[in-house]
Amino acid sequence: MDERHFVVIGNGPGGSQAALTLRRESPESRITVISKERGGFYPPHRIPELISGVISEEDLFVFSPGSFKERNIKLRSGQEVVDLDLRNQQVILEHKEKIPFDGLIIAVGGKPRIPEYLAVFSDLLMTLKTLQNAKDWVAKLSSAQKVLIVGGDLTSLAFSKILLSMQKQVYFLLSEEAFWPIRCTPALFEEVSLALARKGIHVLTPSQIRSLSVLPDKSIELRTDHDTVCADIIGAFFGLVPDIRFTARSGLKIDRGILVDEYLFTGFQGVYAAGDCAQIYHPQIQDYWVSIGHDNAVALGRIAAMNLLGSRVMANVSKESIFEVQDIKVNTSWWTEF
Amino acid sequence: MGGKDLTIEICGMSGDGTIAAGQLLNAALVNAGYSLLAFDSYPAEIRGFGRCVTHSRVGSGKMIALKNKAHVLISLDDQESVSRIPFLDTDAVVLFDNKPMAFLAENQSIAAHVEPEAKLIGVPFGDLSAGATGSRQGRNLVALGAFAGLFGVLPEFFNKAIEKKFSSKGKPVVDSNLACFQVGYQHVLEFYKEDISGDLGEASVHENKDSFLISGNEAIAMGALDANVHFYFGYPITPATPVMEILAEKLPKRGGKVMQMEDEIASIGAVIGSFFAGKRAMTATSGPGFALMTELIAHATVTETPAVIVNAQRGGPGTGLPTKTEQSDLQVAVYGGPGDSARIVWAPTDVQECYEFTLRSFQIAEKYQTPVILLTDFFLHNRVESLEKLSSAAEMISDGNLYPAEEKINAYKRYEITETGISPRALPGSEGFIFSATGLEHTEKGRPDYSSAIHMQMSEKRHRKIRGALSDLPPPVEYAPKGQLDLGIIAWGSTFGAALEAVTQEQEQGKRIGALKITSIFPFHEEVISAFMTKCREVLIPELNFEGQLANLIGHLHGKKVKRLNQVTGTPLTPWDIGEAIHSILKVLD
Repeated sequence: MDERHFVVIGNGPGGSQAALTLRRESPESRITVISKERGGFYPPHRIPELISGVISEEDLFVFSPGSFKERNIKLRSGQEVVDLDLRNQQVILEHKEKIPFDGLIIAVGGKPRIPEYLAVFSDLLMTLKTLQNAKDWVAKLSSAQKVLIVGGDLTSLAFSKILLSMQKQVYFLLSEEAFWPIRCTPALFEEVSLALARKGIHVLTPSQIRSLSVLPDKSIELRTDHDTVCADIIGAFFGLVPDIRFTARSGLKIDRGILVDEYLFTGFQGVYAAGDCAQIYHPQIQDYWVSIGHDNAVALGRIAAMNLLGSRVMANVSKESIFEVQDIKVNTSWWTEF
Repeated sequence: MGGKDLTIEICGMSGDGTIAAGQLLNAALVNAGYSLLAFDSYPAEIRGFGRCVTHSRVGSGKMIALKNKAHVLISLDDQESVSRIPFLDTDAVVLFDNKPMAFLAENQSIAAHVEPEAKLIGVPFGDLSAGATGSRQGRNLVALGAFAGLFGVLPEFFNKAIEKKFSSKGKPVVDSNLACFQVGYQHVLEFYKEDISGDLGEASVHENKDSFLISGNEAIAMGALDANVHFYFGYPITPATPVMEILAEKLPKRGGKVMQMEDEIASIGAVIGSFFAGKRAMTATSGPGFALMTELIAHATVTETPAVIVNAQRGGPGTGLPTKTEQSDLQVAVYGGPGDSARIVWAPTDVQECYEFTLRSFQIAEKYQTPVILLTDFFLHNRVESLEKLSSAAEMISDGNLYPAEEKINAYKRYEITETGISPRALPGSEGFIFSATGLEHTEKGRPDYSSAIHMQMSEKRHRKIRGALSDLPPPVEYAPKGQLDLGIIAWGSTFGAALEAVTQEQEQGKRIGALKITSIFPFHEEVISAFMTKCREVLIPELNFEGQLANLIGHLHGKKVKRLNQVTGTPLTPWDIGEAIHSILKVLD
């Protein structure tokens, strides 16, 4: 009888994969998944399809809460971790409940990144990461005609197509940060601009956003150094940043994510990190890299679980597939999607 | 049932203000124009420990039963509230205090136990109360504020309820309660924007604007007052005590008196004495007290003296489950006591009938010169319903006595044999109408006589009189489509509402099924019941007792064994419970 208690923080692709692997490899252990978001597991990259109505909310979920129950995995849904007491091996929840663990996998993924210069306007910007975000989009789109996409990441490309299919006028404001974390070379910039324009998207290429303001008719006016655009909705798509504020007092080493070795080990006994929130050491390049994308997260979740149970599986990516952008070394499964 | 239909539970420990919060919630929702049925359950102990739960079902249509699952749980004590989780809808909303005073070990929070589909709404009840008033005591009001915010109930409806409840304690108390409510309300608006459902919002306000809240206890007391009762004699016992408390406040203002007696025997003795003297009186008790009264009830039967007795059933046997509901006193109500002491027993099914039956019990007791037992139960007494009005017609409360004709003066026979069995009744002191009354068997003049002929004659007379009372007792009410039925449900007392809702749901699915409401327990309308049973392939009698006491009483009228659903969990039957039984019976029939 394995009486160990494994806790997984996060119920995205990495977290759910970690939990499923733990269950498969350690059938008798106790497993708890803690998720800030309510409900089961859904692949976030399919959210745009939900907005367009191609799939229903029911179709979106890969694992319902009931699926976790069937696998004897306790899902604490809608519950937020606010602190870690790694010395005493405890996770502390917002409602002051302490959850002891024998093994911990942190796979909380990322949250929408808003560049500093836009932070002041964040109330006017919509993001698209969670199911709730999707619901908000659906509600707003019902009465919106013009949508302005600022920033741009790969989600925004798929989403723009969907907006067009919904007969919306789409404006795309490409900036230097577009397609973060992919390097946006002038050639790529040009290519993307043309591709978007061919699809009927109005492409703007300013060098600076000057102001954002709400007009009396509730539309939002955006002024740049080149243009003035009015839209009913402005969506900000600047990629994700690790959602790891709760680790601040834990003693974990943090840079752009939780620093882990090539086995995803944090240095604290029984504590691993996986997916978008981890920054992983690469022995060959002797530096840390971050991983982005659904497929990478799934692979890392599996590796973290295996290693927590005693394996020595390396998060092995060829150094050629890692590139550098804005001083961060990145490997992304989005390349293929792109 | 179409339209909105929401069940809300508040659970806490004694002293958490759970019941008070439930009362405010109910009052506010009725202020908002909703129909409501609510019920509290609390521990048998006086105070200090034990679980308190309030259940409120609210919606647009008339609420006639509680549901088996709640849509909202407000936890004022997580350790206690965990017990309510099996009774929650899968996607229920759970409001809880997410900033307890101290850290909790794993599983000590309700968050550890709710299903992952549930919507957890953490609100720092204690902290917000302390911030608003300097005391954490207002946690329950903060919780109500959060509920109002989430479900879109306008604060004015709660404010009105709070002011009404606390106004007698002074403005500071009213203000601090209002402040606690407000901080809870604002907290949700600020932090749970995405979760605000507005399910109880403005759109449906004032659907039932003239309604008011009334409990079964209040309805019984109001019925007695409107029937011009002169005396109430009683001894405290759960769940009947509130009848005495209400009358203690109101009856003296109408010239009557309330006396707490030394026990239940004294109480029924005083009631009989009062009626004997010509003044309306009543007592209310529960099973253990009723057991003590049975000898004197038989005494009233043989002396043909009116009496009105409320038996508020609770879990038995004996002291049993003092604060839980049950329907297990039917047999003792009908048969309890020495000898063949036939009496009238009727059982209201809702709060409106609690009022009407109490009101009419005095007249019927007077007319038939016999004890009338109003057989209620804990669920009926303690539940509150929103009603539109209570009205009493003069003919329902007028003197029921049949006085002797003047020509009988000096030849008066107190126990005269008549066709109806009813002997004209003179009151003591009526000049020229001298009689004796005795608990011994007696002649028409009231003289003791143990001869077999007299005992046969008088027994037959008393039972003929009781059978004749059927004409004054409400016949069973049928809720069924025309023609043959696959299944008929016969229900009584507080269980009837659940039975009717279950039957209605099945009828809407096209099932050949009907319900029969029986309120006259003894005597009962044999022909009507028999006719209903005849057209049913199967008959089901759901009851909150183990033995199937109504089924034992009337089951023989069916050509074959009736089906029984007997529950003694201390909680009311729900439409779901009865629906399950219906499904299993219909499955076999199919």
